[in-house]
Amino acid sequence: MQSLETKPNGPVAAAFLATGIGSLALGILVCLNELGGDISKFLAFDKNFGLGSGVGPLSGKVILTVLVYVVSWAILFFAWRGKEVNFGRVFSVALILVALGFLLTFPPVFLILAPKA
Amino acid sequence: MSLTDREFWALVHGMGLGALFLLAFGGGIAGLWSLRGSLVTEAGVAERTPRLLVGTTVMAAVAWLTVIVGTWIVYPWYRAGAPKGTTDLSRFPKALLVSNPDTAGWHEFGMEWKEHVAFLAPLLATAVAFTVIYYGAQLVKRGEIRQALLVFFTLAFAAAAVAGLFGALITKAAPVA
Repeated sequence: MQSLETKPNGPVAAAFLATGIGSLALGILVCLNELGGDISKFLAFDKNFGLGSGVGPLSGKVILTVLVYVVSWAILFFAWRGKEVNFGRVFSVALILVALGFLLTFPPVFLILAPKA
Repeated sequence: MSLTDREFWALVHGMGLGALFLLAFGGGIAGLWSLRGSLVTEAGVAERTPRLLVGTTVMAAVAWLTVIVGTWIVYPWYRAGAPKGTTDLSRFPKALLVSNPDTAGWHEFGMEWKEHVAFLAPLLATAVAFTVIYYGAQLVKRGEIRQALLVFFTLAFAAAAVAGLFGALITKAAPVA
């Protein structure tokens, strides 16, 4: 809640929520890659954009994750800068998103989407 | 007694940065846990805040370095495909593992989990480090945020622990050499 003795919590809430968004983005990208086809080919940033020789689709998954994380943090930071927000609610949402990130990066979950051999 | 380039970078990735990460986690979690007004005086808070700042910042930096070195230096050696007709797969760890049904799980479960979940650690640790930098000693007055930091910090460690454990086990089964 509002604390007059400390800095506003907006920027910190932004960092927590951006972490949740980044985690979910990673989970979604991991699942999308398992679908194969054009998405998987696009995620091979090493071949497509020369970002890391031999890394394969992992290069696209992690670079896009970091982009989503940084951009969402920047947007939230400027939106909540100097503001006191309901941190408990923001943290709950962030925690759910992080949990989804953990879940979607667990092989028995994302391999369900892999084409059957 | 010597190390190849590959062994050196695998060592930097797993043992060097990994050990530093553990050390920073230990300092950070102890600092966050005890940063309570009921446990420490104002002078105590001022004394331990810089240590907490170093612990959390080092942990975040090391987490990023570990995944960068792991993904862009060590991983390509691990996943390199063996040329057709190669019978000795010892320089192609992924191919070596999947060539045998008894060891394929190290790649299909272990590596597949490790290479992805590891990236959650720097995201989580960065939020913690930023918050400690932002609030500094004021964190003692923000109990709710301090508790959230403990959760994120522990999750960062858990993600890194999964990656580290499988890294060690996979290296034992098929070293990058």
